[in-house]
Amino acid sequence: MSYQEKNITVSLVSYLLIVSYYLVNLFQMLKEGELVSSKLFGLSAIVILATIIVNIIASILTNIVLTIVEAIKDQKYDEPRFIADERDRLIGLKGMRSSYITFSVGVLVSVLAFAFGQPPLVMVSLIIFFAIAAEIIGDISQIYLYRRGF
Amino acid sequence: MEKRQVRNNIRKLRFHHDEMTQEQLAVKVGVTRQTIIAIESAKYAPSLDLAFRIALAFGVPLGEVFSYDPEDDPNQTINKIS
Repeated sequence: MSYQEKNITVSLVSYLLIVSYYLVNLFQMLKEGELVSSKLFGLSAIVILATIIVNIIASILTNIVLTIVEAIKDQKYDEPRFIADERDRLIGLKGMRSSYITFSVGVLVSVLAFAFGQPPLVMVSLIIFFAIAAEIIGDISQIYLYRRGF
Repeated sequence: MEKRQVRNNIRKLRFHHDEMTQEQLAVKVGVTRQTIIAIESAKYAPSLDLAFRIALAFGVPLGEVFSYDPEDDPNQTINKIS
């Protein structure tokens, strides 16, 4: 597994944890009949902040840990280790395209739900869910491309 | 899966260059070993820039490393039919 694959896997796991936290809390609110705007926006703010912070921290930690492990393995301490070449960039772009398509479909579904009489809170919940789902799909498609060879 | 029309002799050229490893070639041309593996197995067609760098690494013209088989090209087949 290459450095990029490891990095994407860590990102995928962090997104899965965040989306699980979001869904568990959302269904708990629904079950208890407490789906009110103040609570939902609070949850959304936590999820959005967690998405940004957890991803940055996970990326930095992965980089540090992998650099240390590789340096110990190779016994070379002054070489640049992780380069992103043209294939990595292309796979990244393809992953981003999958993310955009997923998010576009998600926004369409959310707007349609609103148009067919669902309350605005459902629309907001769906948009946030699809935003994270888009990142997950993007990461999965990148891992798939790396595993397949391209 | 779509089969690439760009074929290559990288494996053979590596063998004739002191059995150069994929890792050594990757370092020489500035890409990852995974990219060399993908190019060798014709899963990924490199950019023109990378193709030239690979040819330079072996000290041979581009045509000796990569070749293009028009027989496999679906566009060519369509042209022939029409």
